[in-house]
Amino acid sequence: MTMSRRKFLALSAAAAALPGVAGLAGCGAPDHSAGIGYWSAFASQQQRDYFQRARVDAFPGPGRVELTVKPTASIDQLTQTALAAGTGPDLVQTDGPAQVAAYQAAGYLHSLEDYAHTYQWDRVLAPWALAASRINGQLVSLPADYETMILLYNPATLHEHGWPVPRDGATFEAICTEAKARGMLPVAAGNADWRAASEWWVTMALNHHAGPEAVYQALRGRLPWTDPVFVDAISTLSGYYQAGWWGGSVEDYFTNSFPQMYTALAAGDAAVMITGSWASTEIEPYFGEAAGNTATWDWAPLFPLRAGVPDLVWDLGIGRTLSINAHTDKPDETAAYLNFLESDPRRQAEGVAEVGMQPAPLELTAADFPPGTGDRQVRLYTELSNAATIGYTTWTFFPQQTDTELSTNFDKVFTGLLSPADYLAGLDATFREELRRGAVPTAPAPNGIAS
Amino acid sequence: MSSGVASRLGRRRALVGWAFMAPLVAVNALVVLGPSLAAVYFSLTDWSGLGAAHWVGLRNYRELAGDPDFGAALWHNILWTAFFLVVPMAMGLFGAFALTRIRRGRLLLRVVYFVPYIVASVVTSAIWKNLLSPQLGIGKVLHVNVLGNIHLALPAVEIVNNWAWWGFLVVVFLAAMRDVNPHLYEAAALDGAGTFGQFWHVTLPSIRPTFLFLGLMTIIWSFLSFDYVYVLTQGGPAGSTDLLSTLLYRDAFGELRAGYASAIGVVMALISAVVVIGYLAVRKRKDWTV
Repeated sequence: MTMSRRKFLALSAAAAALPGVAGLAGCGAPDHSAGIGYWSAFASQQQRDYFQRARVDAFPGPGRVELTVKPTASIDQLTQTALAAGTGPDLVQTDGPAQVAAYQAAGYLHSLEDYAHTYQWDRVLAPWALAASRINGQLVSLPADYETMILLYNPATLHEHGWPVPRDGATFEAICTEAKARGMLPVAAGNADWRAASEWWVTMALNHHAGPEAVYQALRGRLPWTDPVFVDAISTLSGYYQAGWWGGSVEDYFTNSFPQMYTALAAGDAAVMITGSWASTEIEPYFGEAAGNTATWDWAPLFPLRAGVPDLVWDLGIGRTLSINAHTDKPDETAAYLNFLESDPRRQAEGVAEVGMQPAPLELTAADFPPGTGDRQVRLYTELSNAATIGYTTWTFFPQQTDTELSTNFDKVFTGLLSPADYLAGLDATFREELRRGAVPTAPAPNGIAS
Repeated sequence: MSSGVASRLGRRRALVGWAFMAPLVAVNALVVLGPSLAAVYFSLTDWSGLGAAHWVGLRNYRELAGDPDFGAALWHNILWTAFFLVVPMAMGLFGAFALTRIRRGRLLLRVVYFVPYIVASVVTSAIWKNLLSPQLGIGKVLHVNVLGNIHLALPAVEIVNNWAWWGFLVVVFLAAMRDVNPHLYEAAALDGAGTFGQFWHVTLPSIRPTFLFLGLMTIIWSFLSFDYVYVLTQGGPAGSTDLLSTLLYRDAFGELRAGYASAIGVVMALISAVVVIGYLAVRKRKDWTV
């Protein structure tokens, strides 16, 4: 076959243009597939299979759910990009209220106020969780799961060294001093796998040293973050790091991975571990028959680090939120699915029992859990459901920019590159700006009641 | 041939040339020029990466000037560039020159040097992360935690990146050295030049265009480095390995400050532009060709 040069050029240009035209055709088109589109990420294949079976296939309708699994590390950016392009799933997942605020400001989310009334979510969800889900007075997301900070320990290790489970700062510091002298890791900790992990311990210092009331007042803009009560808290935590209590040494803290820390706890090389309740699932493979040892673990609530702070403060956090895409063509079906996911305590408890999923913040009782559920899990979530005094996890109640700065710059404090006062002054300036912009999530009072 | 016919033929040839170029120009405008202009625009706004952007003029650039994190990242980039202009370039030059002096095993050595370059940076980083681990690897033997030390982490990441990079330079320099006229070496030898003298007085001047071009590209690529730092240290410990690229990434996606991140990107592009313009000016003045 022969082809003229003119024809060749025309065909070449058309061929080159085709991918562009095809690409442009897809731009701006919302994901109007047949089912309710939902993107999620899972910690394990077991969780994924369970979710598909119990929370996707089991949805009675109206409509059906099309679950798309995304990588945990990139689901936020994929969702963000899709929403910015005017597309994305019908049910939008975020990693917390701070991100919800940004999405709401951009107009990506559908209001849930009418659906909250229809489905009476105020009767099933914890008041603090609903309060934290309101941005500028508007409900645009529901918490998909919640978490708290806890102390993990190996009972045999504490028993061997004659240490009690710490209930106050003095006991905790005595254990750390002694453990360090014996060449152990006082607190199994590190941020090699997740640089932002430092904020977990800043959360601890703020709520259990400065106290939840001070944090609440600061979040409302009534107390500056430069107040001495916060400087003391950050200085104390920084001192713990510099004493080599966190991860063994300042240097090792930066290279310790989570598996190493769980292994150290199981082997009796670490005295305790302070982490989030999500670790109660992650820790299982390192203990008992599965790990080839006889070690066991247990948990305890965090304790006050100084006198004057309430004995029992539950630092509450929202790990994931769910919202309805403003561009969806099936908001009612998506709201029905959201209600299906959020409203049944037994379904939440079953997820905890079967695959260690974090539950939504509903009131859970022991009767909600299926027979055979581990005592540690039942105790954790029933006690948490009855929390009288709450604390504020930084990843839930702090605005995005302040939160990132809080975790990134704290590493400079205990390495001696930044003083606690300068650290908090920078944080305060960033927070004030975000407060002015209305980007700070609503914080309920420490008694858990919205105000 | 009349001048009119020649002119028509010239125009036709130009038209055909542009017709071939058109798809490339269109794609370039779509994926390079468009986003570049958008980045300049967004650097003058408070865009979060979501929703509408509001004009703030030069505010982001003024903030950059006083941002200690930006200053630190820029300094790390300068150190990074200096390292890659000296260490791998020297290793590449001497490695290539050594290869020109041997016959047996040359191909094998070229392959050995080059293989790390084609291994994915994520894989290389993961391997080195374990090798440098204070619990498992070299760190345990030497009792030093390089990736956890704020003074050693940046050099450690540079060394890991160099491990994968210098073999590429060997191959490029070797290709350039093989084009050097062998009579020049014979003449230098007759004049009493030893191996180093031949390298210094014959090889280096003969491959100067390649050398300078790779130097130029090293500076540009150094300001684009991201992957090794991100996998090995994520900019830590305590920001001691943050480069402009990792800072940009954190500002854009961690803090949702896409406008500010765009300003960092524009500064990075300006630095590269200054380097290229400087190089072109010197080349023109010295009448070098590449």
